Amino acid sequence: MSIVRVAKATLVLFILLVLQLELFANIRFFGVMPEIMLGAAVASGWHAGPRDGAVLGFVSGFLIDLYLATPLGLSALSYALISYVIGIVSELIAEDVEKIVRSVISLVGIVLGLVIFVVFGELIAEPNLYNKNFGKILVVGGLYTGLFIRPLHFFMEWVFHQNNYQNNQFAMSRVRR
Amino acid sequence: MAVPQRSSGSRFTLAILLLISVTLISLDARGYEPLANLRKASTAILQPFRNIASTVFDPIGDAWKSLSEGDSLEKENALLRGQLSELLDYRVTTEGAVEELKALRTQLDLENLGGQETIVAEITARSVSNFDPYIIEIGKGTQNGIKDGMAVVSVGGLIGRIEDPGLRTSRVRLITDPNVNIGVLAVGTNEVGILSGGGINQPLYVLNGIPVSADIEIGSIMVTSGSERSPYPGGFAVGTILEIVVDEINLEKELIVAPTGQLENLEFVTVILYQPPSSEVGSNSK
Repeated sequence: MSIVRVAKATLVLFILLVLQLELFANIRFFGVMPEIMLGAAVASGWHAGPRDGAVLGFVSGFLIDLYLATPLGLSALSYALISYVIGIVSELIAEDVEKIVRSVISLVGIVLGLVIFVVFGELIAEPNLYNKNFGKILVVGGLYTGLFIRPLHFFMEWVFHQNNYQNNQFAMSRVRR
Repeated sequence: MAVPQRSSGSRFTLAILLLISVTLISLDARGYEPLANLRKASTAILQPFRNIASTVFDPIGDAWKSLSEGDSLEKENALLRGQLSELLDYRVTTEGAVEELKALRTQLDLENLGGQETIVAEITARSVSNFDPYIIEIGKGTQNGIKDGMAVVSVGGLIGRIEDPGLRTSRVRLITDPNVNIGVLAVGTNEVGILSGGGINQPLYVLNGIPVSADIEIGSIMVTSGSERSPYPGGFAVGTILEIVVDEINLEKELIVAPTGQLENLEFVTVILYQPPSSEVGSNSK
């Protein structure tokens, strides 16, 4: 990753982290808040591919881990894994895929990310992550985060896409890997 | 469909990241000090930005809360008033009520918490995790004399304990967490039981320690036992017994307990600056 991309990614993740901690933590549907950092990890996997996506997913998870009571590294592990998977999926799909398809895949990625988080948490770290609210968190949390998936994709497009044009119009193709 | 050739570099990167993650989890589980310091440092670094964001976004959060919870709060308020009225009626008509009421009043007097030094702290944030909702953050930390494991009370009684205090902020682990265990006894008895959380908006449970012969009634107040290894000072109200179930196999009474401490819509809490006599207190054994 170039220095510019690292700077852009740092800025985006910092803003999203503050929003997650101070805004979205207080705006809950049925007691569930959106997982914005997970959404960012999914979007980064889509736009940056498996390798850079996994790195950004890891950083995204690590940042939120610093403010959670769950073991440090659990979100980082889950988010890196789901970013990698989404990165692989994105490579198999045409670049000009409809945005609705991209959103649906991202939504599935978010839900899968939550499942991975709980499964790994139960297996290696924190008991009681799986509880009777798990289904509600999956459905409400997934859909709620899904509401923000387009802005998240927009941010990650801004971070990862190269501008191959001489004038200053936005490049629409994915980053070259 | 042409499938892109994936380089082994991405798999190698993923493997490294997973290895780092597992190492971090492992070190954190062992209480590795630099990681705890990293968390404290990151909290301190981000705090000014969070304060600014909080000023901007708090009105939005408050508006959302009043919209989404307005009806339920009114209903809850009416229900609680009814329950309080019934409880008070019950108290004055029950034998020995005066003594218990005196004990209850002592617990409700937050200005004089059993002679212990206290500090009032503002709640600065709620839990930021969907999977661990049993945390609140307060705006006081180690520089105010707060230490790990100290008891936290609100109007009505104990609500939690300090966990991982930072310099200026601390986390409070609520007693509704199923992983939290507290040594309790009913006012007027000497039988110590272990009280556990039952989850958000659920009652607390005492599943162990109370023999069937114990003279315990519905409506009795449960208070902290204050045993030698407990991080909590003795005599703080924790809950009121709602139901008693007799376990005929283990010859014990299982108690379903409603927390007396206010857990919802809190603005401020009181931290009891109490250090247990024994420093060898387990993280979850209270």
